[in-house]
Amino acid sequence: MSGEHPLRVGVDIGGTFTDIVFVMADGTLHKRKVPSTPADYSTAIIEGISAFCAEHGIAASRIAEVQHATTVATNAILERKGARTALLTTEGFRDVLELRRIRIPMSYDLDWQKPLPLVEREWRIEVRERLDAQGKVLTELDPRALEPVIDSLRAGDIEAVAVCLLHSYRNPQHEITVVDLLRERLPSVYVSASHYVLPEMLEFERTSTTVVNAYVAPLIARYLTALRARLEELGTKAPLLVMQSNGGLISATVAAQRPVTIIESGPAAGVVAALRLARDCGYPDVLTLDMGGTTTKASIIEQGEILRATEYEVGSAVSISSRLMRGNGYVLRIPVIDISEVGAGGGSIAAIDSGGSLRVGPRSAGASPGPACYRQGNEFPTVTDANLVVGYLNSDSLAGGSIPISRELAEVAVQMHVAEPSGLSLLEAAHGIHLVANSNMVRAIKSVSVERGRDPAEFVLMVFGGAGPIHAAGVARELGIKRVMVPPAPGVFSAFGLLRADVEQHAARTILTSSSDLDLAALNAVFAQMRAELTGILVDEGYTADAVSVTAHVDMRYRGQSSEITVSLQQFPVTEAEVRLAEQRFEEEFERTYGHRGQSKAFELVTARLIASVARHADASGGWADDRPVTGAAAQRSLYFGQDHGQVSTPVIGRADLTPQPRSGPLVVHEYDTSVIVPPGCSASLDSHGNIVIDVHYG
Amino acid sequence: MANKMAVATAAADAAPARIDPVRLELVKNAIGSVVDEMVLTVVRIAYSSIMKDTMDMSSAFCDRKGRLIAQGLSLPLHLGSIPDAMDAVLAEYGDTLVPGDIVVLNDPYQGGMHLPDIFMFQPIFVEDHLLGYGVLVAHHNDMGGRVPGSSAADSTEVFQEGLQIPILKLYDRGVPNTTLLKILARNVRVPDTVLGDLYAQEAACRIAERGMHELAVRYGVEEIERCFDALLDYSEREARRTIASIPDGVYTYTDYLDDDGIHPNEPVEVKVTLRIKGEELVADLTGTSPQVRGAINSTLSFAKSAIYFAIRAIMFSDAPNNAGFMRPIRVEAPEGCLFNPVRPGAVAARGVSGFRLIDATFGALAQAVPQRPRAAGEGGTTSYSIGGYTADGRFVLFREALMGAWGGGYRREGVDGVANPAANISNAPIEVIENTAPIRIERYELVCDSGGAGTWRGGLSVSRQLRFLGERATFQLRSDRRQHPPFGLFGGSSGKPSNTELEEKNGWRQLPTKFTQSLGKNQAFRHFTAGGGGYGDPLQRDPQALLHDVRNGKVSIEAAHRDYRTVIVRSPWRIDEEATRALCEQSAGGSR
Repeated sequence: MSGEHPLRVGVDIGGTFTDIVFVMADGTLHKRKVPSTPADYSTAIIEGISAFCAEHGIAASRIAEVQHATTVATNAILERKGARTALLTTEGFRDVLELRRIRIPMSYDLDWQKPLPLVEREWRIEVRERLDAQGKVLTELDPRALEPVIDSLRAGDIEAVAVCLLHSYRNPQHEITVVDLLRERLPSVYVSASHYVLPEMLEFERTSTTVVNAYVAPLIARYLTALRARLEELGTKAPLLVMQSNGGLISATVAAQRPVTIIESGPAAGVVAALRLARDCGYPDVLTLDMGGTTTKASIIEQGEILRATEYEVGSAVSISSRLMRGNGYVLRIPVIDISEVGAGGGSIAAIDSGGSLRVGPRSAGASPGPACYRQGNEFPTVTDANLVVGYLNSDSLAGGSIPISRELAEVAVQMHVAEPSGLSLLEAAHGIHLVANSNMVRAIKSVSVERGRDPAEFVLMVFGGAGPIHAAGVARELGIKRVMVPPAPGVFSAFGLLRADVEQHAARTILTSSSDLDLAALNAVFAQMRAELTGILVDEGYTADAVSVTAHVDMRYRGQSSEITVSLQQFPVTEAEVRLAEQRFEEEFERTYGHRGQSKAFELVTARLIASVARHADASGGWADDRPVTGAAAQRSLYFGQDHGQVSTPVIGRADLTPQPRSGPLVVHEYDTSVIVPPGCSASLDSHGNIVIDVHYG
Repeated sequence: MANKMAVATAAADAAPARIDPVRLELVKNAIGSVVDEMVLTVVRIAYSSIMKDTMDMSSAFCDRKGRLIAQGLSLPLHLGSIPDAMDAVLAEYGDTLVPGDIVVLNDPYQGGMHLPDIFMFQPIFVEDHLLGYGVLVAHHNDMGGRVPGSSAADSTEVFQEGLQIPILKLYDRGVPNTTLLKILARNVRVPDTVLGDLYAQEAACRIAERGMHELAVRYGVEEIERCFDALLDYSEREARRTIASIPDGVYTYTDYLDDDGIHPNEPVEVKVTLRIKGEELVADLTGTSPQVRGAINSTLSFAKSAIYFAIRAIMFSDAPNNAGFMRPIRVEAPEGCLFNPVRPGAVAARGVSGFRLIDATFGALAQAVPQRPRAAGEGGTTSYSIGGYTADGRFVLFREALMGAWGGGYRREGVDGVANPAANISNAPIEVIENTAPIRIERYELVCDSGGAGTWRGGLSVSRQLRFLGERATFQLRSDRRQHPPFGLFGGSSGKPSNTELEEKNGWRQLPTKFTQSLGKNQAFRHFTAGGGGYGDPLQRDPQALLHDVRNGKVSIEAAHRDYRTVIVRSPWRIDEEATRALCEQSAGGSR
């Protein structure tokens, strides 16, 4: 995999646009935004790449690598277009998948319906067998009893089978027997075993994860194979790598085997880009804010590391970020970058509710019909409309003026639906919408920071996505954050992140043992086994074993508690002394998160985790090549900053007009795909990496 | 247009607080986020599964006058509890609390609900000014008394139910009350867990202090207090709008509890009369059974919670749960009745009475607004505890709650296997149970044919079969809805009754609905929760929906034939149209 890298390509498919970023041999960056092609997403990719190559006179054969983030799996779940899937599970437990964790996401909502299970009861088939919690066989599995099951799977045209037996994380033998038999007898059926997908305790979460994996696998495999073929048609045999939800890349081949890991690939890529930039700029502690058309996502980077969560839900309608509001989607228990999401984006609709409060979202006008100003038939005011009315956006602000917009329609919408019912002036109403949208985004940030015991005021806020830079300074002020960074090309930041990610493989095993009478040999054997497994996968991918580096973690808790904290292990093999150090790290982190230490000193090690990685990230030191100066923007614009400041005639400048010397707000920095708002009381400068740095002044 | 709101508020007694809609929303979000964060804090650091996984708790902020301003993500059945508890604290301490004080109580006859629920109050000051109180009530794993878990339905006096904590300071100017802590630790079966959980409650109160202090500093005390008034008015407007949408009238419904835990075959009557006039509602519980000997008596605060929940569930708004919402609703229950007991009545298992009162209130509302409530659900959690010893002599207290099903509703299918909407709790993971307790779960599944037939079928119930692997245990269980199954509405059938059976040498033996008894080594029991009631005439059910149910083993071919007069055949699955037509003609003829 070494040698020349003349051209590397990062492709991020979104609902509306497909973003493509190219890194040239000299490290310069180019970007393309092309409309997505939902009928066959690879069409936009191929067209975007071939147009770029033609334009620059580059042969496609010079493409060395394609890194990819895709929403294909997520869409399959949302639209229920996955494979015809069956589930084989332990006798007595076929309803575990449907019963879920019983809890409902919203109190007081009698209209709620449970999401339909991805495998309905008819195809959840019980297998007579049973292990106990130590993995000891209580009831033997009789392979002959599977014969009629195999017949019915065949007769039912089942395309994928998930196998999840109780306690298989302790002893996978029964699952292996079932899987081997199915693969032998039904070779065209995709079979997914829970001990392979997620060898961890928790039967519902493991079943759900395995089912999602099976449900999307055939489709993902077809998609990646087709994309691969089209890239070859284009003239490149470059490796295709796919972003996982945990922020690491894997090959398309491995992705097709374990597609559950790539479901949130786009948002993860954005956080990876933020991580690299934060490290380059020397900021250890960063909060990210990624604002799109319908939702805003936040994540946290601490001491130069991304924080991960062990579980999330896919396919739930987003209305609030809190972890308590679970139950509307499909649970995936896999390592994932901890991203919280709120239903507040540029398309979120504002209204005065019947009690007289101004609400923004979760209803959204989306990309189509879009904000009222888009002239596509939506008459309700959105956050984008409000930003237009107060002057934060203007008619050239949206995609360089390529989308024709009507300020008048935005004004009418805000006037009719917010200003009149509340008695506010047009400007106050629009500014109010902007503020309430900010407060919704604040909730997403609090969910990844305050809920973990972190004070956002101690972090730098890095903002990207089309609409983020309009709101960033206001959001920062709400949280006491002193510094905001707007990276170059914020609109294609996720695609850029793909090019800056490493190849990663994650593994985890339930160990559940107390730290005082720990069997060190057994623990080290678990780590060695995971290491061999992951290294093997990477070597199969063509990397040398020397290039693989591993990091190990362990999830710990106080005995008797059920919430674990992941702490790092720094010494291999693990020694008694290292275990004591891990206990200390656990207690320090516990205190940081919860404000106290536990009364007992009895600890449990619950899950062993290993990450194997190969450094792959591209050198992007050449900067963005095609940041053409934006034209057509007026030199001054009238912006409304609330009653304290009123309407202020504000200079409109380009990024290149900023210098390392801070310039006081108010300012608008006008860019191709966004506007950066620097309100009064803030100042803006340009750092050596090309970031706009907004300092928020307090006091 | 601007006076549209003014008209709506003119009906309220108090002058509307003049807060613009932007600030109202911002402050509402900010306070909502503080009280939610309190709950999250407990979930993260508590020791017991009942706090972490089942989240049997509620958080709130009350202003200096003790008015409930916002309640966090929490157990809906605690809705009415905090105002009464707060009033009791104010009656005891008035305005004498100082920074560093924390007050606790659990006495059901002085602000509490039942002994396992410890209420905690922390006054929040901005300099010398009392801004209000952070409140967190949470259900503890054990509070002592005669039965592990302190929740038995068959106690007859509160003295049997555990340690009673009158209103006391847990901290006095920052100094912990070690006397109280020592007495508490000595009286409960799992002191480490209870003290750890109590600490989690304190941490949540500190979150409230920090969050509300920040808000007061940002907006100024005077302004933030005006916002409190505005938030109360806001929720009051929403409650009044909801009540106004219910036709004026008097609506009565009577439902029953199977028994009081002491007298097995004596049903307990739960009667509610809703008197709706304009924007106000009175829920009169006159006619409900007198206080009973068993432990299902419910404090009036808990009865209020049940009524508030039912109204909140038919409201078209997500306004904050606060004292404003409660202003147009009055709950009346004669002293000495099931919902207003006097000392020393036992109250530990009062949950079941609250659930039944919700069912009855929905039954009454269905007469007024037929399309809003659903038919009855499973009737509340079945809760049980097993306090026993492992082979190596370690004491293990295992407890959980089983649920549940939602009834069908107008154009809404019942929901199979789901939490009761008034007690939104989680189940306990099977693999975790088996790793931590001497227990094996043998089956956990939906029960075929348990949902009441209807145009919109009632939800299926859940069964759990469990084997005790320890040495010996005290086994306590509280269920209901066996003699009085969940009702259907408008032609829908009742759900299937609940049942509990114990494994004995010669098969399964039925146990009472509520009991405390011993459980032997390797002995198993199984419980079936009740199914949800159906809504509307079963013969009007969409045949494809019925076919889907039969294919999935949720309705049997026999039940489809009997209850829906539809003939379904398999291989391939289909409706036998001709046989179905014949069946309908035959039964139509037969009934005339």
